[in-house]
Amino acid sequence: MIKIEHLSKKFGDLVVLRDVTIEIKSGEVISIIGPSGTGKSTFLRCINLLDRPSGGAIHIDGVNILDPKADVSKIRQKMNMVFQSFNLFAHLSVMENLTIGPVKLLGMSRSDAERKSRDLLKLVGLAEKAYSYPDELSGGQKQRVAIARCMAMEPRIILFDEPTSALDPTMVSEVLSVIRRLAKDGMTMAIVTHEMDFARDVSNRVLYMDEGCIYEEGTPEEIFERPQKEKTRAFINRIRSFHYHIGTPDYDLYGMNAEIEMFCEKQILPMKTRQNVLLIVEEMLQLYTPWLRTTHLDMTIAYSEKKESLELVFESSGSALNLMDKNQSPDELGLTIIKSLTESIDYQRLGDKNRVLLILKKIVK
Amino acid sequence: MNIQTSKESSVMVVKVTGRLDAVTAPEYERQFTLLITDGETRFVVDFEKLDYISSAGLRVLLATAKHIKAKSGQIHLANIGGAVKEVFDISGFGSIFPMHESVASALNATVG
Repeated sequence: MIKIEHLSKKFGDLVVLRDVTIEIKSGEVISIIGPSGTGKSTFLRCINLLDRPSGGAIHIDGVNILDPKADVSKIRQKMNMVFQSFNLFAHLSVMENLTIGPVKLLGMSRSDAERKSRDLLKLVGLAEKAYSYPDELSGGQKQRVAIARCMAMEPRIILFDEPTSALDPTMVSEVLSVIRRLAKDGMTMAIVTHEMDFARDVSNRVLYMDEGCIYEEGTPEEIFERPQKEKTRAFINRIRSFHYHIGTPDYDLYGMNAEIEMFCEKQILPMKTRQNVLLIVEEMLQLYTPWLRTTHLDMTIAYSEKKESLELVFESSGSALNLMDKNQSPDELGLTIIKSLTESIDYQRLGDKNRVLLILKKIVK
Repeated sequence: MNIQTSKESSVMVVKVTGRLDAVTAPEYERQFTLLITDGETRFVVDFEKLDYISSAGLRVLLATAKHIKAKSGQIHLANIGGAVKEVFDISGFGSIFPMHESVASALNATVG
Protein backbone atom coordinates (compact mmCIF):
# COMPACT_ATOMS: atom_id res chain seq x y z
CA MET A 1 0.00 0.00 0.00
CA ILE A 2 2.79 2.41 0.94
CA LYS A 3 6.29 1.78 -0.26
CA ILE A 4 9.02 4.08 0.97
CA GLU A 5 12.42 3.87 -0.63
CA HIS A 6 15.65 5.55 0.49
CA LEU A 7 13.78 8.42 2.06
CA SER A 8 16.02 11.18 3.38
CA LYS A 9 15.43 14.54 5.01
CA LYS A 10 17.85 17.32 5.83
CA PHE A 11 17.21 20.59 7.58
CA GLY A 12 20.09 22.71 6.30
CA ASP A 13 23.19 20.73 7.27
CA LEU A 14 21.33 18.63 9.79
CA VAL A 15 20.58 15.17 8.47
CA VAL A 16 17.49 13.88 10.26
CA LEU A 17 16.62 10.95 8.05
CA ARG A 18 19.50 9.26 6.27
CA ASP A 19 17.97 6.37 4.43
CA VAL A 20 14.61 4.90 5.29
CA THR A 21 13.16 2.05 3.27
CA ILE A 22 10.01 0.25 4.29
CA GLU A 23 6.76 -1.10 2.99
CA ILE A 24 3.50 -0.76 4.90
CA LYS A 25 0.81 -3.20 3.91
CA SER A 26 -2.92 -2.68 4.18
CA GLY A 27 -4.22 -3.60 7.65
CA GLU A 28 -0.83 -3.41 9.30
CA VAL A 29 -0.31 -1.63 12.58
CA ILE A 30 3.22 -0.37 12.83
CA SER A 31 4.74 1.15 15.94
CA ILE A 32 7.74 3.40 15.59
CA ILE A 33 9.86 3.62 18.70
CA GLY A 34 13.26 5.06 19.52
CA PRO A 35 15.02 7.81 21.45
CA SER A 36 13.98 11.44 21.04
CA GLY A 37 15.54 13.29 18.16
CA THR A 38 16.10 10.29 15.93
CA GLY A 39 13.66 11.37 13.23
CA LYS A 40 10.50 9.41 14.14
CA SER A 41 8.13 12.37 13.87
CA THR A 42 9.97 13.76 10.85
CA PHE A 43 9.51 10.38 9.21
CA LEU A 44 5.71 10.55 9.69
CA ARG A 45 5.60 14.18 8.57
CA CYS A 46 7.52 13.26 5.43
CA ILE A 47 5.11 10.45 4.60
CA ASN A 48 2.21 12.87 4.33
CA LEU A 49 4.37 15.68 3.02
CA LEU A 50 4.01 18.06 5.95
CA ASP A 51 7.78 18.09 5.58
CA ARG A 52 9.11 17.77 2.07
CA PRO A 53 11.60 14.86 1.90
CA SER A 54 15.07 15.71 0.57
CA GLY A 55 15.38 12.50 -1.38
CA GLY A 56 13.94 9.06 -2.05
CA ALA A 57 10.53 7.94 -3.16
CA ILE A 58 7.15 7.32 -1.53
CA HIS A 59 4.71 5.22 -3.51
CA ILE A 60 1.11 5.08 -2.42
CA ASP A 61 -0.94 2.53 -4.33
CA GLY A 62 1.70 2.73 -7.03
CA VAL A 63 1.83 6.54 -7.34
CA ASN A 64 5.05 8.32 -6.42
CA ILE A 65 3.82 11.20 -4.29
CA LEU A 66 7.14 13.03 -4.55
CA ASP A 67 6.51 13.48 -8.23
CA PRO A 68 6.05 17.26 -8.72
CA LYS A 69 2.86 16.55 -10.65
CA ALA A 70 1.30 14.62 -7.76
CA ASP A 71 -1.85 16.11 -6.22
CA VAL A 72 -0.72 16.63 -2.62
CA SER A 73 -4.08 17.47 -1.06
CA LYS A 74 -5.67 14.42 -2.66
CA ILE A 75 -2.83 12.26 -1.33
CA ARG A 76 -3.23 13.70 2.15
CA GLN A 77 -6.86 12.63 2.17
CA LYS A 78 -5.68 9.05 1.90
CA MET A 79 -3.61 9.36 5.02
CA ASN A 80 -4.64 11.43 7.93
CA MET A 81 -2.58 12.37 10.91
CA VAL A 82 -3.24 12.60 14.65
CA PHE A 83 -0.94 15.04 16.38
CA GLN A 84 0.53 15.18 19.84
CA SER A 85 -1.26 18.48 20.49
CA PHE A 86 -4.68 17.51 19.05
CA ASN A 87 -4.85 20.48 16.61
CA LEU A 88 -8.64 20.76 16.79
CA PHE A 89 -10.31 23.92 15.50
CA ALA A 90 -10.99 25.73 18.77
CA HIS A 91 -13.76 27.94 17.32
CA LEU A 92 -15.75 25.02 15.98
CA SER A 93 -17.88 22.55 17.93
CA VAL A 94 -16.90 18.89 18.03
CA MET A 95 -19.48 18.12 15.35
CA GLU A 96 -18.21 20.92 13.11
CA ASN A 97 -14.64 19.74 13.60
CA LEU A 98 -15.72 16.36 12.30
CA THR A 99 -17.91 17.49 9.41
CA ILE A 100 -15.86 20.33 7.95
CA GLY A 101 -13.45 18.04 6.10
CA PRO A 102 -15.96 15.62 4.58
CA VAL A 103 -18.26 18.52 3.50
CA LYS A 104 -15.60 20.80 2.08
CA LEU A 105 -13.07 18.32 0.72
CA LEU A 106 -15.03 15.15 -0.01
CA GLY A 107 -18.20 16.97 -1.13
CA MET A 108 -20.36 15.01 1.29
CA SER A 109 -23.77 16.44 2.15
CA ARG A 110 -24.01 18.01 5.60
CA SER A 111 -26.62 15.52 6.79
CA ASP A 112 -24.55 12.54 5.63
CA ALA A 113 -21.46 14.02 7.25
CA GLU A 114 -23.32 14.57 10.52
CA ARG A 115 -24.75 11.07 10.56
CA LYS A 116 -21.32 9.61 9.95
CA SER A 117 -19.79 11.90 12.56
CA ARG A 118 -22.29 10.77 15.17
CA ASP A 119 -21.30 7.14 14.50
CA LEU A 120 -17.66 8.03 14.83
CA LEU A 121 -18.23 9.92 18.07
CA LYS A 122 -20.02 6.84 19.39
CA LEU A 123 -17.02 4.77 18.38
CA VAL A 124 -14.68 6.94 20.43
CA GLY A 125 -17.19 7.18 23.31
CA LEU A 126 -18.01 10.87 22.94
CA ALA A 127 -21.48 10.96 21.38
CA GLU A 128 -22.73 13.24 24.16
CA LYS A 129 -20.04 15.83 23.42
CA ALA A 130 -21.10 16.49 19.82
CA TYR A 131 -22.01 20.10 20.51
CA SER A 132 -19.29 20.91 23.02
CA TYR A 133 -16.31 23.05 22.08
CA PRO A 134 -12.74 21.78 22.33
CA ASP A 135 -12.04 24.01 25.35
CA GLU A 136 -14.77 22.22 27.28
CA LEU A 137 -13.06 18.85 26.85
CA SER A 138 -10.26 17.15 28.73
CA GLY A 139 -7.02 16.31 26.91
CA GLY A 140 -8.02 12.69 26.49
CA GLN A 141 -11.40 13.68 25.09
CA LYS A 142 -9.79 16.17 22.68
CA GLN A 143 -7.50 13.49 21.36
CA ARG A 144 -10.39 11.10 20.89
CA VAL A 145 -12.22 13.80 18.93
CA ALA A 146 -9.07 14.28 16.84
CA ILE A 147 -9.04 10.58 16.07
CA ALA A 148 -12.74 10.64 15.11
CA ARG A 149 -12.06 13.66 12.90
CA CYS A 150 -9.32 11.70 11.19
CA MET A 151 -11.64 8.78 10.59
CA ALA A 152 -14.29 11.10 9.14
CA MET A 153 -12.04 11.61 6.12
CA GLU A 154 -12.06 7.85 5.50
CA PRO A 155 -8.29 7.61 5.25
CA ARG A 156 -6.49 4.49 4.04
CA ILE A 157 -3.94 4.95 6.79
CA ILE A 158 -3.72 6.99 9.98
CA LEU A 159 -0.39 8.36 11.14
CA PHE A 160 -0.20 8.93 14.88
CA ASP A 161 2.52 11.25 16.10
CA GLU A 162 2.94 10.57 19.82
CA PRO A 163 -0.81 10.69 20.41
CA THR A 164 -0.58 10.37 24.20
CA SER A 165 2.54 12.29 25.09
CA ALA A 166 0.72 15.55 25.83
CA LEU A 167 -1.82 13.84 28.09
CA ASP A 168 -2.06 13.38 31.84
CA PRO A 169 -1.26 9.78 32.74
CA THR A 170 -4.90 9.25 33.76
CA MET A 171 -6.08 10.00 30.21
CA VAL A 172 -3.59 7.92 28.29
CA SER A 173 -5.55 4.68 28.49
CA GLU A 174 -8.81 6.11 27.07
CA VAL A 175 -6.93 7.24 23.96
CA LEU A 176 -4.97 4.03 23.63
CA SER A 177 -8.12 1.95 23.90
CA VAL A 178 -9.65 3.89 21.00
CA ILE A 179 -6.53 3.19 18.91
CA ARG A 180 -6.70 -0.47 19.92
CA ARG A 181 -10.29 -0.58 18.75
CA LEU A 182 -9.28 0.82 15.34
CA ALA A 183 -6.52 -1.76 15.09
CA LYS A 184 -9.05 -4.52 15.72
CA ASP A 185 -11.27 -3.11 12.98
CA GLY A 186 -8.36 -3.50 10.54
CA MET A 187 -7.34 0.15 10.17
CA THR A 188 -3.85 0.61 8.76
CA MET A 189 -1.81 2.68 11.19
CA ALA A 190 1.69 3.93 11.83
CA ILE A 191 2.15 5.07 15.41
CA VAL A 192 5.09 6.96 16.85
CA THR A 193 4.90 6.26 20.57
CA HIS A 194 6.79 6.08 23.83
CA GLU A 195 4.19 3.75 25.34
CA MET A 196 6.15 0.52 25.09
CA ASP A 197 3.51 -1.83 26.49
CA PHE A 198 1.01 -0.40 24.07
CA ALA A 199 3.40 -0.69 21.11
CA ARG A 200 4.03 -4.25 22.09
CA ASP A 201 0.46 -5.45 22.15
CA VAL A 202 -1.18 -3.31 19.46
CA SER A 203 1.30 -3.66 16.58
CA ASN A 204 2.10 -6.30 14.01
CA ARG A 205 5.48 -4.80 13.43
CA VAL A 206 7.80 -2.54 15.41
CA LEU A 207 10.37 -0.23 13.88
CA TYR A 208 13.18 0.91 16.11
CA MET A 209 14.54 4.16 14.70
CA ASP A 210 17.99 5.47 15.49
CA GLU A 211 20.75 7.29 13.62
CA GLY A 212 18.22 8.54 11.06
CA CYS A 213 17.23 5.15 9.77
CA ILE A 214 15.26 2.06 10.72
CA TYR A 215 17.96 0.57 12.88
CA GLU A 216 16.08 -2.64 13.59
CA GLU A 217 12.62 -3.95 12.80
CA GLY A 218 10.68 -7.02 13.73
CA THR A 219 7.62 -8.42 15.37
CA PRO A 220 6.87 -6.98 18.82
CA GLU A 221 8.24 -10.19 20.28
CA GLU A 222 11.50 -9.91 18.33
CA ILE A 223 12.06 -6.28 19.23
CA PHE A 224 10.98 -6.41 22.86
CA GLU A 225 12.17 -9.91 23.82
CA ARG A 226 15.18 -10.52 21.62
CA PRO A 227 16.51 -7.26 20.20
CA GLN A 228 19.57 -8.13 18.13
CA LYS A 229 21.44 -4.85 17.82
CA GLU A 230 23.23 -2.96 20.54
CA LYS A 231 21.30 0.32 20.46
CA THR A 232 17.94 -1.45 20.34
CA ARG A 233 18.92 -3.51 23.36
CA ALA A 234 20.07 -0.41 25.23
CA PHE A 235 16.80 1.35 24.46
CA ILE A 236 14.49 -1.58 25.24
CA ASN A 237 16.23 -2.43 28.49
CA ARG A 238 16.57 1.26 29.29
CA ILE A 239 20.30 0.96 29.68
CA ARG A 240 22.30 3.97 30.77
CA SER A 241 26.01 3.70 30.62
CA PHE A 242 29.17 5.38 31.75
CA HIS A 243 32.52 5.06 30.00
CA TYR A 244 35.99 5.71 31.28
CA HIS A 245 39.27 5.33 29.50
CA ILE A 246 42.43 4.58 31.45
CA GLY A 247 45.66 5.03 29.56
CA THR A 248 48.25 5.28 32.34
CA PRO A 249 49.06 3.54 35.64
CA ASP A 250 48.91 7.00 37.23
CA TYR A 251 45.18 7.35 36.63
CA ASP A 252 43.19 9.70 38.81
CA LEU A 253 41.22 7.31 41.05
CA TYR A 254 39.36 10.03 42.91
CA GLY A 255 38.48 11.96 39.76
CA MET A 256 37.09 8.77 38.29
CA ASN A 257 35.26 7.87 41.53
CA ALA A 258 33.55 11.27 41.51
CA GLU A 259 32.29 10.63 37.98
CA ILE A 260 31.11 7.13 38.85
CA GLU A 261 29.28 8.47 41.91
CA MET A 262 27.62 11.11 39.78
CA PHE A 263 26.51 8.45 37.30
CA CYS A 264 25.16 6.22 40.09
CA GLU A 265 23.35 9.15 41.64
CA LYS A 266 21.63 9.91 38.34
CA GLN A 267 20.35 6.33 38.19
CA ILE A 268 19.22 6.67 41.82
CA LEU A 269 21.18 3.60 42.85
CA PRO A 270 21.28 2.81 46.56
CA MET A 271 24.31 3.90 48.58
CA LYS A 272 25.39 0.29 49.09
CA THR A 273 25.41 -0.37 45.35
CA ARG A 274 27.50 2.73 44.76
CA GLN A 275 30.03 1.58 47.35
CA ASN A 276 30.23 -1.85 45.79
CA VAL A 277 30.74 -0.38 42.33
CA LEU A 278 33.57 1.82 43.58
CA LEU A 279 35.19 -1.10 45.37
CA ILE A 280 34.99 -3.42 42.36
CA VAL A 281 36.39 -0.72 40.08
CA GLU A 282 39.30 -0.05 42.40
CA GLU A 283 40.06 -3.77 42.75
CA MET A 284 39.89 -4.29 38.99
CA LEU A 285 42.19 -1.36 38.33
CA GLN A 286 44.62 -2.67 40.91
CA LEU A 287 44.71 -5.98 39.05
CA TYR A 288 45.32 -4.19 35.76
CA THR A 289 47.89 -1.71 37.10
CA PRO A 290 51.00 -3.71 36.13
CA TRP A 291 49.75 -3.80 32.54
CA LEU A 292 48.67 -0.18 32.25
CA ARG A 293 52.07 0.97 31.10
CA THR A 294 51.71 -0.96 27.88
CA THR A 295 48.00 -1.32 27.39
CA HIS A 296 44.90 0.81 27.64
CA LEU A 297 41.81 -0.10 29.56
CA ASP A 298 38.26 0.87 28.69
CA MET A 299 35.68 0.57 31.38
CA THR A 300 31.90 0.70 30.90
CA ILE A 301 29.37 0.71 33.69
CA ALA A 302 25.91 -0.06 32.33
CA TYR A 303 22.72 0.07 34.32
CA SER A 304 19.52 -1.46 32.99
CA GLU A 305 16.58 0.33 34.54
CA LYS A 306 14.23 -2.33 33.29
CA LYS A 307 16.16 -5.29 34.68
CA GLU A 308 17.56 -3.26 37.56
CA SER A 309 20.91 -4.82 36.85
CA LEU A 310 24.36 -3.32 36.79
CA GLU A 311 27.13 -4.55 34.53
CA LEU A 312 30.78 -3.60 34.43
CA VAL A 313 32.80 -4.24 31.30
CA PHE A 314 36.59 -3.97 31.16
CA GLU A 315 38.27 -4.13 27.79
CA SER A 316 42.00 -4.15 27.27
CA SER A 317 44.14 -4.70 24.22
CA GLY A 318 47.29 -6.78 24.01
CA SER A 319 48.03 -10.47 24.34
CA ALA A 320 45.48 -12.83 25.86
CA LEU A 321 45.24 -12.27 29.59
CA ASN A 322 42.49 -13.36 31.93
CA LEU A 323 42.99 -11.59 35.23
CA MET A 324 39.85 -13.24 36.54
CA ASP A 325 41.66 -16.58 36.52
CA LYS A 326 43.40 -16.88 39.85
CA ASN A 327 46.40 -18.60 38.25
CA GLN A 328 47.01 -15.57 36.05
CA SER A 329 45.95 -12.89 38.47
CA PRO A 330 48.59 -11.03 40.45
CA ASP A 331 46.37 -10.60 43.47
CA GLU A 332 44.11 -13.16 45.05
CA LEU A 333 42.80 -10.79 47.70
CA GLY A 334 41.41 -8.33 45.16
CA LEU A 335 39.93 -11.20 43.19
CA THR A 336 38.23 -12.58 46.30
CA ILE A 337 36.57 -9.23 46.92
CA ILE A 338 35.46 -8.94 43.28
CA LYS A 339 34.03 -12.46 43.29
CA SER A 340 32.07 -11.92 46.45
CA LEU A 341 30.40 -8.77 45.10
CA THR A 342 29.46 -10.16 41.69
CA GLU A 343 26.82 -12.55 40.48
CA SER A 344 28.81 -13.62 37.46
CA ILE A 345 32.22 -13.08 35.90
CA ASP A 346 32.80 -13.73 32.24
CA TYR A 347 36.07 -13.51 30.32
CA GLN A 348 36.21 -13.45 26.54
CA ARG A 349 38.99 -13.01 24.05
CA LEU A 350 37.51 -10.90 21.24
CA GLY A 351 39.89 -10.24 18.35
CA ASP A 352 42.94 -8.64 19.95
CA LYS A 353 41.00 -7.63 23.05
CA ASN A 354 40.45 -9.08 26.48
CA ARG A 355 36.96 -8.48 27.72
CA VAL A 356 35.75 -9.04 31.23
CA LEU A 357 32.06 -8.73 32.02
CA LEU A 358 31.00 -8.51 35.65
CA ILE A 359 27.37 -8.54 36.75
CA LEU A 360 26.88 -7.13 40.19
CA LYS A 361 24.97 -8.94 42.88
CA LYS A 362 21.69 -7.26 43.56
CA ILE A 363 21.32 -5.49 46.84
CA VAL A 364 18.34 -6.77 48.74
CA LYS A 365 16.43 -3.67 49.75
CA MET B 1 42.32 9.80 54.78
CA ASN B 2 43.34 11.44 58.00
CA ILE B 3 45.33 9.88 60.84
CA GLN B 4 45.27 11.16 64.42
CA THR B 5 47.28 9.65 67.21
CA SER B 6 47.00 9.86 70.98
CA LYS B 7 48.73 7.98 73.74
CA GLU B 8 46.78 6.04 76.37
CA SER B 9 49.36 4.97 79.00
CA SER B 10 51.75 2.84 76.93
CA VAL B 11 49.38 2.23 74.03
CA MET B 12 49.28 4.32 70.87
CA VAL B 13 45.68 4.92 69.74
CA VAL B 14 45.55 5.62 66.00
CA LYS B 15 42.30 7.06 64.68
CA VAL B 16 41.86 6.61 60.93
CA THR B 17 39.25 8.74 59.14
CA GLY B 18 38.03 8.56 55.52
CA ARG B 19 39.25 6.07 52.94
CA LEU B 20 41.96 3.45 53.07
CA ASP B 21 42.50 2.67 49.41
CA ALA B 22 45.17 2.41 46.73
CA VAL B 23 45.80 6.15 46.98
CA THR B 24 46.01 6.48 50.77
CA ALA B 25 47.52 3.10 51.72
CA PRO B 26 51.16 4.27 51.26
CA GLU B 27 50.50 7.16 53.66
CA TYR B 28 49.06 4.77 56.27
CA GLU B 29 52.16 2.62 56.02
CA ARG B 30 54.47 5.64 56.23
CA GLN B 31 52.80 6.93 59.41
CA PHE B 32 53.01 3.53 61.11
CA THR B 33 56.64 3.09 60.09
CA LEU B 34 57.40 6.45 61.73
CA LEU B 35 55.62 5.42 64.94
CA ILE B 36 57.37 2.05 65.04
CA THR B 37 60.73 3.72 64.38
CA ASP B 38 59.94 5.99 67.33
CA GLY B 39 59.75 2.88 69.48
CA GLU B 40 56.00 2.37 69.69
CA THR B 41 55.02 -1.33 69.84
CA ARG B 42 51.46 -1.46 71.17
CA PHE B 43 48.67 -0.13 68.97
CA VAL B 44 44.93 0.24 68.97
CA VAL B 45 43.58 1.32 65.59
CA ASP B 46 40.20 3.02 65.76
CA PHE B 47 38.25 2.53 62.50
CA GLU B 48 35.02 4.16 63.67
CA LYS B 49 35.33 6.95 61.11
CA LEU B 50 36.74 4.80 58.31
CA ASP B 51 34.23 4.79 55.45
CA TYR B 52 35.93 2.61 52.90
CA ILE B 53 38.64 0.00 52.63
CA SER B 54 39.89 -1.89 49.60
CA SER B 55 42.35 -4.74 49.20
CA ALA B 56 45.14 -2.15 48.97
CA GLY B 57 44.11 -0.99 52.44
CA LEU B 58 43.91 -4.53 53.80
CA ARG B 59 47.31 -5.32 52.42
CA VAL B 60 48.94 -2.36 54.09
CA LEU B 61 47.12 -3.22 57.32
CA LEU B 62 48.64 -6.68 57.16
CA ALA B 63 52.09 -5.35 56.32
CA THR B 64 52.13 -2.93 59.28
CA ALA B 65 50.79 -5.66 61.59
CA LYS B 66 53.67 -7.92 60.53
CA HIS B 67 56.08 -5.09 61.10
CA ILE B 68 54.68 -4.59 64.62
CA LYS B 69 54.73 -8.34 65.38
CA ALA B 70 58.35 -8.45 64.27
CA LYS B 71 59.07 -5.96 67.06
CA SER B 72 57.13 -8.18 69.47
CA GLY B 73 54.38 -5.60 69.54
CA GLN B 74 50.61 -5.84 69.45
CA ILE B 75 47.89 -4.39 67.25
CA HIS B 76 44.18 -4.40 68.06
CA LEU B 77 41.42 -3.02 65.85
CA ALA B 78 38.37 -1.26 67.21
CA ASN B 79 35.00 -0.09 65.91
CA ILE B 80 34.94 -1.88 62.58
CA GLY B 81 31.51 -1.55 61.08
CA GLY B 82 29.41 -1.03 57.95
CA ALA B 83 31.05 -1.32 54.57
CA VAL B 84 34.49 -1.80 56.13
CA LYS B 85 33.30 -4.76 58.19
CA GLU B 86 31.88 -6.38 55.07
CA VAL B 87 35.23 -6.19 53.30
CA PHE B 88 36.91 -7.70 56.37
CA ASP B 89 34.39 -10.54 56.34
CA ILE B 90 34.66 -11.17 52.59
CA SER B 91 38.44 -11.33 52.70
CA GLY B 92 38.70 -13.39 55.86
CA PHE B 93 40.63 -10.60 57.59
CA GLY B 94 38.08 -10.63 60.39
CA SER B 95 39.71 -13.75 61.75
CA ILE B 96 43.31 -12.53 61.34
CA PHE B 97 43.04 -9.46 63.53
CA PRO B 98 41.78 -9.15 67.06
CA MET B 99 38.73 -6.91 66.71
CA HIS B 100 36.94 -5.03 69.46
CA GLU B 101 33.71 -3.15 69.76
CA SER B 102 35.25 -0.11 71.36
CA VAL B 103 38.59 1.56 71.86
CA ALA B 104 38.22 0.93 75.61
CA SER B 105 37.89 -2.85 75.20
CA ALA B 106 40.73 -2.85 72.69
CA LEU B 107 42.88 -1.00 75.23
CA ASN B 108 42.00 -3.53 77.92
CA ALA B 109 42.98 -6.37 75.65
CA THR B 110 46.25 -4.67 74.77
CA VAL B 111 47.29 -3.93 78.31
CA GLY B 112 46.14 -7.37 79.45
